[in-house]
Amino acid sequence: MTLFHFFNCVILTFGPHAVYYSATPLSEYDTLGTSVKAALVYLGTAIVKLVCLATFLKVSENDSFDPYQELLKALIGFVDVAGLYFALTQLTHRNISQNHKFQAVGLGWAFADSVLHRLAPLWVGARGLEFTWDYILQGLEANANLVLSISLAALGSLMWLRKNKPKTLIPIIYACAIIVATMPSITSYLRRGLGWHFPKVVGFELFTSLVMAFISWQLFSACQRPSS
Amino acid sequence: MSPFKPRQPQMLDSMYSMIALVFILVACVELCDAATVVDVYRLIQYDISGVPFGSRLATLNHHAGSLHFTPGADLSRTIVIIPIRELNITFVKEYITQRKPLGGLLFLLPQIFDFKDKAASRSEDEVHDKGLMKTVLAELEKLLVHANIPYPVYFAFENDDIDAVLSDIKRNDATGQPATATTGGYKLVVSAPEPKRIASPIITNIQGWLPGLKADGDPNQLPTIAIVASYDTFGTAPALSVGTDSNGSGIVALLEIARLFSLLYSNPKTRGRYNLLFGFTSGGPYNYNGTQKWLRSFDQRLRESIDYAICLNSIGSWDNELWIHVSKPPENAYIKQIFEGLSNVANELGFEVGLKHKKINISNPRVAWEHEQFSRLRITAATLSELSVAPDILESTGGLSDNRYFVNETAVIRSIKLVAESIARHIYSHQGENIKVFADDSSLAVNPYYVKSWLDILSQTPRVAPFLSKNDPFVMALKKELEDHTHEVNVQHEALDGMFTFYDSTKANLNIYQVASVTFDLLLLLVLGSYLIVLFSFLVITTRGLDDLISLFRRPPSRKVKTA
Repeated sequence: MTLFHFFNCVILTFGPHAVYYSATPLSEYDTLGTSVKAALVYLGTAIVKLVCLATFLKVSENDSFDPYQELLKALIGFVDVAGLYFALTQLTHRNISQNHKFQAVGLGWAFADSVLHRLAPLWVGARGLEFTWDYILQGLEANANLVLSISLAALGSLMWLRKNKPKTLIPIIYACAIIVATMPSITSYLRRGLGWHFPKVVGFELFTSLVMAFISWQLFSACQRPSS
Repeated sequence: MSPFKPRQPQMLDSMYSMIALVFILVACVELCDAATVVDVYRLIQYDISGVPFGSRLATLNHHAGSLHFTPGADLSRTIVIIPIRELNITFVKEYITQRKPLGGLLFLLPQIFDFKDKAASRSEDEVHDKGLMKTVLAELEKLLVHANIPYPVYFAFENDDIDAVLSDIKRNDATGQPATATTGGYKLVVSAPEPKRIASPIITNIQGWLPGLKADGDPNQLPTIAIVASYDTFGTAPALSVGTDSNGSGIVALLEIARLFSLLYSNPKTRGRYNLLFGFTSGGPYNYNGTQKWLRSFDQRLRESIDYAICLNSIGSWDNELWIHVSKPPENAYIKQIFEGLSNVANELGFEVGLKHKKINISNPRVAWEHEQFSRLRITAATLSELSVAPDILESTGGLSDNRYFVNETAVIRSIKLVAESIARHIYSHQGENIKVFADDSSLAVNPYYVKSWLDILSQTPRVAPFLSKNDPFVMALKKELEDHTHEVNVQHEALDGMFTFYDSTKANLNIYQVASVTFDLLLLLVLGSYLIVLFSFLVITTRGLDDLISLFRRPPSRKVKTA
């Protein structure tokens, strides 16, 4: 019965990634290699991030919200953006359209993130007899994260790969990218600084991820138009 | 539709590390993340001549229920949690005597019974009707100890966590939905190994001497007075069987009497012409098996030199009457002497001592009082006790309610005065005279702090003989204390005779999990499945258009056409 629950949580956490891959043209154009490479880049980025965090951050005894530490953490969080930049620009792919490239990178990125952050807690926790909503919420969080990663990858590809984009949209793109990139810090602030409970935080994440996805989709199609 | 076709080698590389990671995790993880973990104490499991008694199982893994279950519900997979405060004895009786199936029983004892929690036992709040609690517990214990119960029975102490769980369960039960695998609720898990038989339990007797002053050139052996107390207990839950009254009070009295006489005997001027023999015997609940072995080990001369023996048994919670139990007729000169010695002192101390005569039936294996073992060997002996009638086997031997909370130390002190004074008068031949050897405020006064501290220690030490090892710290402490007061302290190890077989695993950890039901998981699976399908359709429609989605479902028939 508890293994059942574990499988449910796994489906919720990793199912959307698979569905996204198979449902969109990504599968038709065989972009799995790109995703795997992006995941490997994520792994490298995560290690760099860990080293940075371990070097610059003090271990806080309590769970309180320290603005200075959080600022530092947010800055280190931009290592992610650097990693994404590397994945988007430096990785050589077979001729794969920009359209699919950012999706494949975002997908690999989100999948690696889910595997690293959520698989172990799931395995440890969700198989136990004790029932909590935490793992279901965590699965929902993974969904939000997938959407956010793809949005960020979309914005990144707009910033770095597309040359002829409307000048008026550039600040908006950058602003959105910054917002998306600082999402982890924002949620951390909500959870610790304002004391929000986990369900509320997850709800917020889901909502913002959908909003950001919509905005970046609009931006992307707006940039698409003049070129086509 | 097939995402894993090409680039297999690359995939495999990353998969290997993943698999390794998963295996490491599996190895490290221990599944113990329960909401609550409580200490539980198992009902004793024992055989008498091969006939099983007590709780026969230790492992527990069922849903929890309360007494508010719907009538007629099947409880064979439910652990019923029963707080002693609201114990429904008829329910328990019905289920045990008719051997109805149950998943298990968990009794919750009020905090005051927790001898480990000192603060709780000091607070005088809570149980105002402690007399009632005691009778209820006694009835319950009698029921449990003499029944063969095919499921686990555990005792735990009330605390906030378990109270919260219980009130949740009650609320659930009140709505008419008893917790089973399909409706969720709480699951109680005790993972204990199969109870194992204790191979050849050992009982330990301890004796110490205070030798009397022998006149020069006197060829005769000095007469001996023996003071004996059995120190082990037998209780419903062996790990909780501290027996403050039966027979902790006897141990304390014996130690204090030994201390007082060691003061007297250390000075040659006050050293009496009697040897004093102090004995802690084990196996008390089992027909005083240890006493029997101990006496058998004496040689004939020593046995004959014993003038009389006084056995101390349950002298910690009486008000104004004590009983002297003898097995020789009261007209017997020696008995008369003992009784008069004691009752004179008792009158001076302001209470009554009664004499009870109970003949020994040699053919009956039951030995109700410790002195009967002496009497069987023709040694004059009497038992001093607050109990007016002989207890049945395994009764009044340190049950659940027999703890510090119910024992009055002034009663113990008065008993000590009674015994010490009467023995002193006998030794120094002052019978019938009103002389106080152990007067208060003198250097020979009974030390209430000594009595109190030993009573406190004994009230925290479960002493069920089969579970005490040969060199148990408690036995060693008792020996050391007797060594401080007396000479020639001997420890005698004997095998516990006869028909009793005991099983271990008296203590365990109970994990309480809040669990979701199977239906919930099924529902969740359904919801997730539909979510993924909707997501899939949505993505296909937005990225490739509706026609693609429809064509996905059309493809198989077209293939069939091709193959045909």
